Amino acid sequence: MQNMLLLTLLLPTLTVPIVYLTGRKSSKAAAILVALIAIADIALLSITVPIILDPATGHKYVESYYWIPVLNSSFTLFVDGVSLSMAIITLILILTVALFSVNYMQGKKGLAEYYALLTLLSIGLVGVFITSNLMLFYFCWELMLVPAYFIIGGWGYKEPYKAAFKFFIFTHAGAVFVLLGIGAIFMATGSLDMFQAQTALMAAQPDLVKWILLSLTAGFAVKMAVVPVHMWLPDAHSEAPAPMSALLSGVIIGAGAYAIFRVSLGTVFPAIMATDFGVQFLHGLAVFGVMSAFFGSLIALVENDIKRLIAYSSIAHMGYVLFGLSLFGLSLLSGKPSLVQVVMAGTVLHLVNHAVSKGLFFLSAGAIMKQLEIRDIREMGGLAGQMPITATSSTIAALSIAGVPPFACFISEFLIFVGAFQVIGNDGFYLLPTALMLIATVLSLAYALRYISHVFLGPTKLKEAKETPFFMRFAMLILAVFVIILGIWPTFFLNLINTLSFV
Amino acid sequence: MISILDVSLPIISFVLFSLLTIPVTKTIRKRKSKRTALSFGWFSVIFITAIAAVANLAIKYYEQSSLQPFLNITLTNETHTMFSSAFLIDAISIYMAVIFTMVGAVVFLYSIFYIDLSEKLSERYYSVMLIIIGCIIGAAFSGDLLTLFIFWEASAAGSSFLMLYQKTTKSLHATLRYLVMIIIASAFIVYGLSIVYGITGTLNFWAVKQALTALQDKHLLVIAFIFIATGYAIEAAIVPFHMWLPDAYTAAPASSSAFLSALIDQGSYYVLLRVLIYILTPSTVLNWTVMLAVFSALTMIVGNLFAFSQRNVKRLIAYVCIADVGYNLVAITSVTPLGIMGNLYFFLIGGTTTALAFMAVGILNRMGFETLDDFSGIGRKAPFTSLALLLSAFSFAGVPPLAGFIAKYLVFTAAIEANLSWLAVIGVLTSIIQTAYLLRLINYMYAKTPQEKEISIKEPKKLLVPIFILSGAIIILGIYPTIILNLIEPVTQQLPFIP
Repeated sequence: MQNMLLLTLLLPTLTVPIVYLTGRKSSKAAAILVALIAIADIALLSITVPIILDPATGHKYVESYYWIPVLNSSFTLFVDGVSLSMAIITLILILTVALFSVNYMQGKKGLAEYYALLTLLSIGLVGVFITSNLMLFYFCWELMLVPAYFIIGGWGYKEPYKAAFKFFIFTHAGAVFVLLGIGAIFMATGSLDMFQAQTALMAAQPDLVKWILLSLTAGFAVKMAVVPVHMWLPDAHSEAPAPMSALLSGVIIGAGAYAIFRVSLGTVFPAIMATDFGVQFLHGLAVFGVMSAFFGSLIALVENDIKRLIAYSSIAHMGYVLFGLSLFGLSLLSGKPSLVQVVMAGTVLHLVNHAVSKGLFFLSAGAIMKQLEIRDIREMGGLAGQMPITATSSTIAALSIAGVPPFACFISEFLIFVGAFQVIGNDGFYLLPTALMLIATVLSLAYALRYISHVFLGPTKLKEAKETPFFMRFAMLILAVFVIILGIWPTFFLNLINTLSFV
Repeated sequence: MISILDVSLPIISFVLFSLLTIPVTKTIRKRKSKRTALSFGWFSVIFITAIAAVANLAIKYYEQSSLQPFLNITLTNETHTMFSSAFLIDAISIYMAVIFTMVGAVVFLYSIFYIDLSEKLSERYYSVMLIIIGCIIGAAFSGDLLTLFIFWEASAAGSSFLMLYQKTTKSLHATLRYLVMIIIASAFIVYGLSIVYGITGTLNFWAVKQALTALQDKHLLVIAFIFIATGYAIEAAIVPFHMWLPDAYTAAPASSSAFLSALIDQGSYYVLLRVLIYILTPSTVLNWTVMLAVFSALTMIVGNLFAFSQRNVKRLIAYVCIADVGYNLVAITSVTPLGIMGNLYFFLIGGTTTALAFMAVGILNRMGFETLDDFSGIGRKAPFTSLALLLSAFSFAGVPPLAGFIAKYLVFTAAIEANLSWLAVIGVLTSIIQTAYLLRLINYMYAKTPQEKEISIKEPKKLLVPIFILSGAIIILGIYPTIILNLIEPVTQQLPFIP
């Protein structure tokens, strides 16, 4: 097999019309087809795992096709440990989300379009992680936007198109700044390949590089929903149908973080790493990270709408990731390979863990909303007895989000903090942010416990509540198992991530 | 070897067929059966001939382009004589001719069916349209300022007939306004040209340029430049000379608006590009970049802000055309290879996308849907037309995988390359405004519930054909722009060798 990455992209692309036509006959069949495509994609990607783990290949796998020679850009598909982890976890989420939709979306209109859009969305979601060409990257980056817009708008709650509009405008505004940055990279280096550009940028004017870095990072931060450009997130996440919320929160904002990791810090940052501006930039990231973590956790603590609560916790968690990214940059400066490895593993693993945990969290919340048709957590209570499986998986998700061992997010948060304590030794600035981050962790435990006690514990308030149908339970159980496995045995992804080296 | 016949064949074929069209369509219309098929057949004969003529020229040109990239072809044998009408064939004129013919064919296909639906048929409409395509190709091939002037003014003034087709008070008013502007513009241009002729003693592109480069005293040239630039700025609808465009495009029938935006608009940018960059004012002669950049920024801002405040969808698209002028100017401003490439790509994409939008809006307008409120919920009532409008809106907004994205990328990158980062930032910010109002349109189409529930709309199938062709083109050129970029590449390679 020489072109599995191309196939990974082509498979969903070509099956969009098939999914649509199947969906017109039976929506269940379409959902299962989407799930099968995701499984096939996972299989295709896992072929590359041994190649990545093999030191002889330089821990990379690249495919390159003829595309736009005039712009010196070829259709380069590429995976390394980090992008492979992100792509696989994305596909796992798409798989579960498609299965979850079978019951969740039952009875809604236009399901053929829904599943076709979901397939279309998966192209962008996966493509963003498996390319090293900036043009193609931007292509997939924006390709997520349109299907997501229509899914939120078409099948959401309250005034869905309003939320979708906000989502589109904010993220597209961010994206045009990314485009500007990419254009400037092309201007400065004549190359659109992330790795060629990285070397070529070393020779570019530091002033230009500075602006490229700011423009790109600002654009990515909008998608990542960093405070103060987070305004789109609570609306979009809470009004979207639960499967879409799971993807939005699990993968789409994670893609923003991945982009900062890969493009801002990976491609552009090394060129001005040594300057004063480089350090200030990292401090800025840390400050915004702490702000997001604190703000998100505090609002989540007082929010009563079940989905808005989770949405704010996403903002908080992106704060952790941004803080981790800042530490990662600083560890690059420190020149200690072991520190780089710890921080990078923590940050990227947190993206993976957060994707699974938050996906599960949103799906279980959606299940509750679907069964009860209320969304205020104060009106719920004692659901643990009535909906045991939903309750268990939701609790697992909440505890993982709170950073409780042995669930997934604990390990990655732990690694980030280990890195932070080491970084403090190099740069005293990080003392205060690290302390604040620890407090934010306590806050996240508080809102998780508040959520659990309000929704699942206490006296039974709603007599008519019933356990969710099969496919919803099945989808939640898959993710719950993943959350536990990733908490106990993160070795698979850690091994993958640790193949990256920065010397 | 390219002879004068090869060059003039596309022009002649269009003009000749245009004359034949009136009697032929009249005969066809008298028949009882198979009228559509026959007229379709007749027009495909015309366009196949024209495409063959253009292809013949393009192939012959590329066979020898490595030896002689700039071909000056005159009616007489002497070169550079004073009034000898000259044609200049280089990569850019070939490119323009190719896209004019291709896009013209699709827009014309739409016009056949669209005009066919109206009550009063007039075969003069087709005839005028054909003659304008011929003239505009002539303008692309022209090699001296006078030939350019004649061909270009013929097509610009001729398009007033297309606007006036419906003969309503509104369209009469708008057309008059357009004609007055065009006449003022040509007066300016003629005056400027006479000064240029006075300075240099010739109107041939190369001779003018050589004379200007050697010129010591530039006072007169500045005056000539201002006159000519103003004249062409009026015709290209650069802010503050844009007032005529929204009126004219809104009052014209949709097929005319599509034609105007796809061909006449692009032609006017081409003329601007040719005259300002290639001949009159290479930066060695005059330093005009900043001035043009300011106008470009103004055009983007004004076009997008006015579009934002429109409730009438057709008028909104007309303002998008003005915003497009601004984006084109960004690229014209940066005389870098990338800028020219972005420009030429934007010519095509901006033109086809606005044409597509006008075509889709035209179908809906015919059914009485005009304002944003009328468009509520139209996405479900007329799914195919709405899909086309949706695609064009996303293409304007620069969302991949649609072609508008590559065009915008090239334009912004060109601005950065020319050290005009502020212009790129303005472009990006106005592009966000653009996304906002286009998304509002989409919101109306798909999110709002229709005011009158039980109206079922039958979308005319014939009109959907050209719409699908253009939609497909936008998607394909977005995913794989190399098809067109390879045609443009020779232009950028020739840029440094312009004598």
